[in-house]
Amino acid sequence: MKAKEYWNPYVAGVVLGLILLAAYLVAGNGLGATALPKRSLAVIGNQVAPEWTAQNTVLKSYVADGASPLRNWLVVEVVGVILGGFLGALTAGRLATKVEKGPNISVKGRLIFAAAGGVIMGFAASLARGCTSGQALSGGAGLGTGSWVFMLMVFAGGYAVARMVRRQWI
Amino acid sequence: MIDAIFPLEFATDDLRLLTGIIIGFGFGFVLERAGFGNARKLAGQFYLEDMTVFKVMFTAILVAMVGLYGLASLGVVDMSMVWINPTFIPAQAVGGFLLGVGFIMSGLCPGTSVVSMVSGRIDGWVTFAGIFVGIALFTLTVDWFPGLQSLYMAGSGEVSLLHEVFGIPALLLALIMVAGAVLAFVGAEKVEAIFQAKRSPVELTPPSRPRLKLAMGGSLAVLAIATLTAGSPGPEATSLPMTSMAPLSLAEDIIERQPGLVILDLRADPAAENGVPGAIAGSDPEAVMGLLAGSPEGTVVVVYDEAGAVRETPAGWPENRDYRYIEGGLEGWNAGVLTPMELWGNSMAERERVQRQNQISAFFSGAAVQSSAVAAPPPAMPSGNTGKKPKSGGC
Repeated sequence: MKAKEYWNPYVAGVVLGLILLAAYLVAGNGLGATALPKRSLAVIGNQVAPEWTAQNTVLKSYVADGASPLRNWLVVEVVGVILGGFLGALTAGRLATKVEKGPNISVKGRLIFAAAGGVIMGFAASLARGCTSGQALSGGAGLGTGSWVFMLMVFAGGYAVARMVRRQWI
Repeated sequence: MIDAIFPLEFATDDLRLLTGIIIGFGFGFVLERAGFGNARKLAGQFYLEDMTVFKVMFTAILVAMVGLYGLASLGVVDMSMVWINPTFIPAQAVGGFLLGVGFIMSGLCPGTSVVSMVSGRIDGWVTFAGIFVGIALFTLTVDWFPGLQSLYMAGSGEVSLLHEVFGIPALLLALIMVAGAVLAFVGAEKVEAIFQAKRSPVELTPPSRPRLKLAMGGSLAVLAIATLTAGSPGPEATSLPMTSMAPLSLAEDIIERQPGLVILDLRADPAAENGVPGAIAGSDPEAVMGLLAGSPEGTVVVVYDEAGAVRETPAGWPENRDYRYIEGGLEGWNAGVLTPMELWGNSMAERERVQRQNQISAFFSGAAVQSSAVAAPPPAMPSGNTGKKPKSGGC
């Protein structure tokens, strides 16, 4: 089966904007992605070291009042992303087990870069209290000043080191 | 001005959470269709070959921005109830830069790594695992390094809005941004055309392996089910649901001296202002547990807080009691019982009800005066926006 074409970026942008707007109107907050791993960590912390979790700068708000950390709109939303992304790939004929990489790098090299980049992003998204979805996209649409600073710095960071990792992609 | 209808209020929390699945589904689906499950396509943004990230992201931001602030200007959205990311400039600037660095290294961002992962891409799985490790790394180290913690906490932490910084209306700023974006999109198309000519575009059809597809789908289903079951209250959660009770019907019960009625004041500071007459301060959990354990089964236990947010019992309360919360908490009580209603414009049937309510109101206003030895009746709570800001958020 031949894979479906990607949507026109502007059409995809309008649809994505409407979904983001719906999130704001229905739930009163934007979209996110790191709530699931962050709050999963709170669950693990609660099991392993409840007192430490209750005092941790990041985790304490997730477990305050004995609340279940995963019982949160943003967590459920990421479960929706998992299902939507999967069905999207399935119906487009794009479901495939492979490594996306440029022609000039080995699979192993590419996966090392992916892991390192992931670690840096997880650290960064925790520090910034949000990622490209929660800060740049959602906070940007909500005109949050800090979110716009974040967004400009994401592009700055990306362009700053793009030359160094060029071999991976080109 | 019409009454604000957004953000929507839901009868139950479960119903609200259900909308998360639907909206998240749309989010994931659109990201996939935009090509954001493909790290090569996303990375193209940083080599100026494929500006899809820029085009999709800014179109979406502007559509949502104009929609949100447009509806707010019509009075349909109550912006005081909408959660906008608070501003911590140093953390957001450093975090943003680092995230950009991680983005070009992995070719994915956290949201798109989820889509890449569920499209079967191994680099997506590895990236997502890395993100989890990175989050754990920050969470573990934030309290160890004072420098990291002060970077995390630096800044006002208040909601700062860009149009307020510039001192112009939100919609005007949105309009300026739309105009700027249109120019930028024209530029992006040109840049793309120049740089794309040098390289073949990212292919649409990766070779597929059906058996792994099945394994991938299975593990996804397990992941989704595990998350959902973790999200629902587990068996160890001993909070019991409470039924709601209208302030007036509680007032009637108090007047009629309903036997065995227990009223608990669960406010953070029960002495802050006059509570419901006869209420026992619930600030000492052990005393409350002792009291509840000693009460017979079926006892009506009415609890209240400031605004009716507590709808489940604190963990560990005994079962087989009739737990209820006052609708709207103390605010609901003050507004529903202590504030006399006007007869103006009501039908005859309503007047009877209103008169009864005003008798109750007079009864309790008087009672409150006697019990607290203060000359003035309790002040009526100002109506209007008394709700708390939603606490959820983050990424």
